[in-house]
Amino acid sequence: MFRLNLKIALRNLWKNKGYTLINVGGLAIGLASCMVLLLYVAYEWSYDKQFKNYDKTYVVYLNSVSSTDIVSYGVTPAPMAKEISEKIQGVAYASHSSTPTNELLSYKQNNFKKAAIFADPSFLKILDYKFIKGNPMKVLQETNSVILTQTMARNLFGDEDPINKTVKFQNSEPLKVEAVIEDVPKNSTIQFDYLMPWSLNEKLNIWVKNATWGSNAFLTLMQLKDNKYLDNVSGQIKGIYKRNWKNSENEGLMHPLSKWHLYDKFENGKSTGGKIDQIRIFIVLAFCILLIACVNFMNLSTARSEKRSREVGVRKAIGSSRKSLIGQFLMESMVLSLIGMLVAFTLIEISLPYFNNLLNIQLVINYQDWKFWSTLLGLTIITGFIAGSYPAFYLSSFEPVKVLKGFAAIGGSSLSVRRVLVVFQFVFAACLIVCTGVIYQQLNFIKNKPIGYDRNGLIEIPVQGNLKGKEKLDLVKDQLLKSGAATSVTYFSHSLNQFGDATFDFSWPGKNPKELILFNYRGTGYDFTETTGAKIIAGREFSSRFVDTVNVLVNETAVKIMGLKQPVGTIIKWDDTPVTIVGVMKDFVMESPYQKVNPLVMYNPTSNYNYIIARLNPDQNLSSSVSTIDNIIKKFNPDFPVDHRFVNDDFESKLQNEKLLGTLSNWFGGFAVFISCLGLLGLALFMAEQRKKEISIRKVLGASTANILTLLNKDFIKLVAIANLIAFPLAYIIISHWLSAYSFRVAISVLPFAIAVGLSFLIAILTVSIQSVKVAKSNPVDALKYE
Amino acid sequence: MIELKNIEKYYANKGVKSYILRHVTTSIKQGEFVSIMGPSGAGKSTLLNILGMLEEPTYGQYEFMGEDVVSLNERKRIELYRNHIGFVFQAYHLIDEMTVAENIEAPLLYKKVPGSERKSRVADILDRFNMVAKSDLFPNQLSGGQQQLVGIARALVAQPSIILADEPTGNLQSTQALQIMDLFKKLNEEEGITIVQVTHSEVNAAYGSRILHLLDGVIKEDVVVQQTV
Repeated sequence: MFRLNLKIALRNLWKNKGYTLINVGGLAIGLASCMVLLLYVAYEWSYDKQFKNYDKTYVVYLNSVSSTDIVSYGVTPAPMAKEISEKIQGVAYASHSSTPTNELLSYKQNNFKKAAIFADPSFLKILDYKFIKGNPMKVLQETNSVILTQTMARNLFGDEDPINKTVKFQNSEPLKVEAVIEDVPKNSTIQFDYLMPWSLNEKLNIWVKNATWGSNAFLTLMQLKDNKYLDNVSGQIKGIYKRNWKNSENEGLMHPLSKWHLYDKFENGKSTGGKIDQIRIFIVLAFCILLIACVNFMNLSTARSEKRSREVGVRKAIGSSRKSLIGQFLMESMVLSLIGMLVAFTLIEISLPYFNNLLNIQLVINYQDWKFWSTLLGLTIITGFIAGSYPAFYLSSFEPVKVLKGFAAIGGSSLSVRRVLVVFQFVFAACLIVCTGVIYQQLNFIKNKPIGYDRNGLIEIPVQGNLKGKEKLDLVKDQLLKSGAATSVTYFSHSLNQFGDATFDFSWPGKNPKELILFNYRGTGYDFTETTGAKIIAGREFSSRFVDTVNVLVNETAVKIMGLKQPVGTIIKWDDTPVTIVGVMKDFVMESPYQKVNPLVMYNPTSNYNYIIARLNPDQNLSSSVSTIDNIIKKFNPDFPVDHRFVNDDFESKLQNEKLLGTLSNWFGGFAVFISCLGLLGLALFMAEQRKKEISIRKVLGASTANILTLLNKDFIKLVAIANLIAFPLAYIIISHWLSAYSFRVAISVLPFAIAVGLSFLIAILTVSIQSVKVAKSNPVDALKYE
Repeated sequence: MIELKNIEKYYANKGVKSYILRHVTTSIKQGEFVSIMGPSGAGKSTLLNILGMLEEPTYGQYEFMGEDVVSLNERKRIELYRNHIGFVFQAYHLIDEMTVAENIEAPLLYKKVPGSERKSRVADILDRFNMVAKSDLFPNQLSGGQQQLVGIARALVAQPSIILADEPTGNLQSTQALQIMDLFKKLNEEEGITIVQVTHSEVNAAYGSRILHLLDGVIKEDVVVQQTV
């Protein structure tokens, strides 16, 4: 029975190749989209879960409590780890480590500037990276030692054995290679290329050694012996600042390692989501696309019911029960979804490299993983079942006498079900079109929003090695300007796009002493406005004509917050040192382009610059300017790579998340629309079939092809219009919710909605017309003579 | 074998009942060859469908081999139907996607006959109908008469006690029609299978042993045919 049914199912599919193609295509695209999205979700989900005891591991956050709100930071003081591991019961390990920075490491002629972290031995106890060479028990103890990742080792040493060889850090410290570990997985929040002992950090940076509970600059990780201690330990962590640092209002917060990546947004000292929201959107999107594909299948199968009905009648007349008919139809849809799965599988393999490239991630199909196979199989079976259930129950319900006599008696109710299905598909498609449109508008809005300076043609070069020191910098500046490659040069304490130093320690006349307000502070050289294109709106900027050691610049936001009427000339206090405001800058964006600009104070240090910022000469060819600059820097600093960066690129990388969302919704929205079209095609097919006689009679009576097309299209236009009407409020709600997360956002305009209407109507008319032209042009006699 | 008492069938349309069958009371015994005749719209096919349990009477009593069909549940009715009734249609109604052999095998599948027996019974009947060479062809590769032979073979393979035929020769040429009627007669006489056929043709009716004349849903005449052929 099963074999025969299978054979007949296959024969049926083969006989109706076009129909099979549409169905398999729809299901395959649906399954493939769903699987790719789910792979992406699984990838994001697996972040930081590679470690053995990840579920017992926590990241300590700083909750900075002020009068107005609580702000959370993922940085903590250096002494905290020791305090935790020594004084709190139930903690297995606690470690401190530096945030990764790109530092130079060299071996013979090989120089690489790669991400480096300083960490203590507990770091490797908590995060059990796999050791390829070296003894994990003895690493990070000797001061001048280093652990390399596999790729780093290969870059530096090629095929040589790196163990016990000496590499040079920052071109000065010799470090012995103690071990080689596997590369850090891409889906890990902590990314580094080599690991150095904490003691080296203390040796190189005296401030690290003397760091107090007041400087929150490091990552503290802790692992519990068992999660039963969690309540007790987190209670103690909460008060850890107050116990160790007098007058501190700060609180500690334990954030699970497994949630570090996805739940990265904090409000009022509590984790309130973050990237997980986007992941949820993708999950919903994944299943909606699959559902659309299923709906499609239902539409097409029931539309073909007239052809199948006779078979149902005969089968019933020779003794088939309804159950076995349902079984037969379900099996047919299973066979189809199985074929769809095979095609989907190929599609996934083909498209994955493209998506990886696009999203800069590493999705792979893990063939050894039973989870992948069971998901794929599970999805296929569920798809087959959902897609097949309605046609199976619908078709098997036919009464044999009626269908054997002729089909005319039935069709009305099933048609309305199909209409509902098509409306559902188009609601989804229209929603996606609107949302994609708004996401793109928002992206463009942010990209084109003035950020207070001109980020194009601006290049940054890190100050390292021989470049350090004011005299050297001035020499470099001089040469850069003379070469004609740069029109203006300044120095800055940070990269322009970097989040960085901030302090509560500013006070000004009339400040409420209890109020804690975080001010960013940056050191800047002369010619800052000329170089970056930022604007001074009052006073002046730093200049060689003045001595500016106790003068500062502030931005507009800072003026507003301090409530100064006459900012220029006002004396404010930094820690306890009085400084004079000599100029007010127009706000410019250094941090998130989506958020309001934070108050900023700029000072003019004598040294301690970390970046040279140069405005490229617009009259010169870009690449030749850049290579001129590279050559000059290389001349001063032959041991370090130049490592120039374009400010614009760095800025755009901040839009990565939204770009990703835009790209994904664009692609999968496109798929959803495509599959919906297939569904519409199915319905058009059915309608044309059903109304063949009517159309023929109309033609006999003198209707033209155009008349008939209008007639057939009218019904579908109505459906699409209804779908749009339902979709708009829905899309509006969804997209306003999404936009509400941004303090700078585009106003929702009519345009995306108009596009959705235009596109869905165009698609509908095209699909329906292609199908119905055939019927409209057919010879009426063919249809009528069977009556 | 079959007892019909006061069978009525009507469709209510906007409060107006349009009767198809009225007060049909008759009985058909094992081994009879009954022809139902009458003009179009007399209710012949409906009566046949009711006999074949494809339709339910609006009112009345129907006993098939001592069982009250109307009160049986669906499962039991299908069971009864599978074991005792074979249907032959005017338009053959073979399943296009199945070969001749598969079409014949289908009822046995639903009856859950084991595989080996199925094979032998299908082979047997193909042999009897001289269609072994055609067993792998599809219905659309056969002539009308041949298709109807397959239809009858399909009805017979489940070894029913009664065959219900709705104008079995209606779509056939006269020579083919004669063949089919001869076959029916042979089945009736040699194997004792009860046959009920709906027909327009006096000639076909003459093959049977009894004729029911239907007019506007009422049995007008119940004639025993004098065997002349």
